[in-house]
Amino acid sequence: MTEALISTKDLSVEFLISGSLFKPKVLKAVDGISIDIPKGSFFGVVGESGSGKTTLGRALLNAVSIANGSATYDDGEVKYDLAKMTSTELKDYRKRAQLIFQDPYAALSPRMTVRDIIAEPLEVMGLTKSREETDKVVREIAAKCRLNLEHLRRFPHAFSGGQRQRISIARALVSRPQFIVADESVAALDVSIQADVLNLLKSIQVDMGLTFMFISHDLSVVAHTCDHVAVMYLGRIVESAPTKELFNNTRHPYTKALFSAIPSLDPDAEKTGQRLYGEIPSPTNQPSGCTFHTRCPFVQDICKQQVPKLEVSDKGHSVSCHRWKELMDVAAL
Amino acid sequence: MKPLIDVQNLTLLFDTDEGRITAVDDVSFSIMPGEIMGLVGESGSGKSVTAKSLMYLNAPNANYADESKILLNTEDVSLDVLKLTTQKQRNVVRGGAISMIFQEPMASFAPAISIGKQMVEQLLLHTDMSKAQCKELSIEMLDRVGISDASSRFNQYAFELSGGMRQRAMIAMALSTKPKLLIADEPTTALDVTIQAQVIDLMRELVDEFRMGILFITHDLGVIAQTADKVAVMYLGRIVEQGLVRDVIRTPSHPYTQGLLAALPKMDDLESPLKPIPGDIPSPLERPTGCVFNTRCGQVVGDVCRSKTPAWTETSKDHFGACHLYTNEVNG
Amino acid sequence: MNISTKNIQDSKESYFTASQSQLIWARFKKQRAAMIAAGVLGFIIFIGIFAPAISPYDPTIAGRDKDYMNGAPQIPSFCDKNGCSLRPFLHGVERTRSAETNFRWVEEPNEDIRHYVELFSEGAKYDLFGLIPMDTHLFGMQDADKKIHIFGTDSSGKDIFSRTLHAIFTSLQVGTLGVLISFVLALVIGGVSGYYGGRLDSVIQMVTDAVRTIPAIPLVMSVAAFVPSEWTAEQRFFMIAIILGLIGWPTLARRVRTHLLTERNQEYVLAAQLCGASSSHIIRRHLLPSFTSYIIVDLVISFPYMVLTETGLSFIGLGLKDPVNSLGVMLQNVTKADVLLNYHWYFIPVLFFIALVMAFVFVGDGLRDAADPYGESKK
Repeated sequence: MTEALISTKDLSVEFLISGSLFKPKVLKAVDGISIDIPKGSFFGVVGESGSGKTTLGRALLNAVSIANGSATYDDGEVKYDLAKMTSTELKDYRKRAQLIFQDPYAALSPRMTVRDIIAEPLEVMGLTKSREETDKVVREIAAKCRLNLEHLRRFPHAFSGGQRQRISIARALVSRPQFIVADESVAALDVSIQADVLNLLKSIQVDMGLTFMFISHDLSVVAHTCDHVAVMYLGRIVESAPTKELFNNTRHPYTKALFSAIPSLDPDAEKTGQRLYGEIPSPTNQPSGCTFHTRCPFVQDICKQQVPKLEVSDKGHSVSCHRWKELMDVAAL
Repeated sequence: MKPLIDVQNLTLLFDTDEGRITAVDDVSFSIMPGEIMGLVGESGSGKSVTAKSLMYLNAPNANYADESKILLNTEDVSLDVLKLTTQKQRNVVRGGAISMIFQEPMASFAPAISIGKQMVEQLLLHTDMSKAQCKELSIEMLDRVGISDASSRFNQYAFELSGGMRQRAMIAMALSTKPKLLIADEPTTALDVTIQAQVIDLMRELVDEFRMGILFITHDLGVIAQTADKVAVMYLGRIVEQGLVRDVIRTPSHPYTQGLLAALPKMDDLESPLKPIPGDIPSPLERPTGCVFNTRCGQVVGDVCRSKTPAWTETSKDHFGACHLYTNEVNG
Repeated sequence: MNISTKNIQDSKESYFTASQSQLIWARFKKQRAAMIAAGVLGFIIFIGIFAPAISPYDPTIAGRDKDYMNGAPQIPSFCDKNGCSLRPFLHGVERTRSAETNFRWVEEPNEDIRHYVELFSEGAKYDLFGLIPMDTHLFGMQDADKKIHIFGTDSSGKDIFSRTLHAIFTSLQVGTLGVLISFVLALVIGGVSGYYGGRLDSVIQMVTDAVRTIPAIPLVMSVAAFVPSEWTAEQRFFMIAIILGLIGWPTLARRVRTHLLTERNQEYVLAAQLCGASSSHIIRRHLLPSFTSYIIVDLVISFPYMVLTETGLSFIGLGLKDPVNSLGVMLQNVTKADVLLNYHWYFIPVLFFIALVMAFVFVGDGLRDAADPYGESKK
């Protein structure tokens, strides 16, 4: 088994929200996450709104602070405790871990040329010594993202969504990182362009030996591109497994509902499958026990009282549900 | 039976600073009562503009071609929406015979007025009922769309509801006037996928119950496959393929539809690579001559694709495509 | 590729490579009203800067015309009953005033005497831009004893045309200084408030609001009243500019803060932070350029307020005083019945100032419309 590049244990991220000055309300966006992202993998994190997937990604990049638990980064060269980094370690970590944003229109500074946007990380981090060297690196990375010299001279307003996303990707790659968090990077793109950007990400992964954490709400996209998927609901991981295993042996009721909610392209497909009722609870008002119990079709008393543990089974498949075993047996009958 | 709405040769041009932009180019389709029609396209396809034309909701700098007709046939009215000249006439159509729901429900509801008040206001405008009757009907509709505790929700404001509930409330508001045609412009795009499934189920039930027609606009072919009876695929203002959902999705005849389907991740085959359509969607200012898709088509047959707009061909029963592959115009 | 396609390609390429300021300028050029206003503004600023050269006489007491006090405007003519000449001239006049005319000066032109006007005549000495000593004026009378007053004169014989031009310049100076002071204050206070947010922001906002609620006119009047009258005209000048700056900053500071608060949360700022960019880098390269255009618009729009406030102050005598000369100073004597009834040319400078203020307003509006469409370039 390949070593984990990123390893977290009981990671929690909390936010202070309004409330009064003396009794602030705490929002637990991410609660007790333990995952291992193997080196060189394309690791998918799937969830709906309020799942905390974006916050998890940002916590791993030190863009939000970690409240509890630990997260480690180990790429063979260096090993960092992401919860307690010194500023020198942080500076170095920034070169190794980068983020690709969702909104191609907000992620690029409208007043800088494409060349300057891509070169900025190099200049800020002091990775190159001369302007010629910077230009060379920029051209190389831009070529990998299918941006040519003409494009480099232009400003972001000249480009379409898909092209802007490629500029974003180029900017993330220019410091030769090891780990990239792609936060809903294809959600805002048209379908025909989406496939293009996904293919680009995969080819870059192979080319540069990167590890990706791919965050998305679109399970079909994740199932197609990732080799491992973790499903999040209201800040917790409910199920996590290699993609094929997750698809063939779905265990958690929420994951099953997610799969059946994807509209199939076959008009004659069975229109039943598991429909979830009710709304997603607000993260500020989390249900007790298993956070999914308010919508679970198989809820029992224990679900309302106890938080289910994450049970790891063979084949690297972990589930967090009190009843998953009995539900599997029932289904098998 | 006459179609509920019959769009004939709709062509729409916008006057902008950069010149005249063709947003919709010779679009024709019809919807029967009780039928769900899907309008599928990516950005720049003109699907939203087409939908807004049905209620004459486009900006004042929109120019409709003379031969364009939008014929509305219900038990009460039979008219050409484009020929309505006064606001009063148009208001009969808007919200009365035709209702519309949008992608962003927050944009539909005024933020400072309670939902109930807005629903009652709409009913007062379009029906003869008393205020009390309107309130009763509104609460009934809120309940019908699956909003629990409808009578207290009636007094809430839009920001107090979650995304899915807001969308349901918008559907309730749109349906309370018992329109004959519901236009849904990307109603589920902003919703989580489990909520999306609920809303789609709801819309199908309501169609059966109210015998409405629905024009369902989206970029998501999967949603169309599960919801619609017929589908029209649009690209840069033209319909490139039309037909029953089963036919179009199972046996697409136009290269663009084929490309869209190939680019979609399919759940039954996780191994197959995603095949994007090469190139980018041209800007509306640079519409290609000839077949509007020729700049990205992998099956160009010759110069004819760049010079002549392909005519409609019936490739199978009630299934039409506009492509030179099956017209008899190939050169050489 | 034929020529027309190449032209289209070139223009598209230049659109793609146009920086934000080039785009704004291109959009600005399309607005007719704004371009005309910009022309007018440029013209007025030009004549203000070159005021000493363009005006024939010294605007202070030193340049007054004792023989022609409260005199009506004198427009030179080219032709009269004795023929035409290339050079414009004025007729000699005899002024009388007596009980029969209600002690109003009555002029009797003597058509036989001609006084010629010449261009680039020599006159009183002055320093162009305060540096270059010159004595050539744009126009003057050939005969050094005679004077020409295009806009007439005031009660002590000072040439109103010269005074107008100098007044424009003074107002521009005071306005610029006031705007600069308020801008610097606003940038610092609003900048700190917007960039750091949180508690610091709340406290600063409370202070800003408190300052804003103080009514401007009484405040300004009381501060101005405290200025000792022994101060020289220059010192007064700076004092007034400082006062103006101190009133103007809260509004501008709020604008700066709002811009910063929105821009700070933009994703491209986060992207820069994730590269480890320092605060100063982010401010310099991302935040400041993002609202430079808006700030310029704000500055241009607040300019006229400075000018008008100064005019008001000087009019009531609390602002600038002679020999420093501004519109307000020139209007000090306008309230006399004499002037209102008889000497209407005292109001000619008002037209110039209306033009100046309106020009600023139109240019500011045009700039704001040109800078705003950044939102339109989104999908």
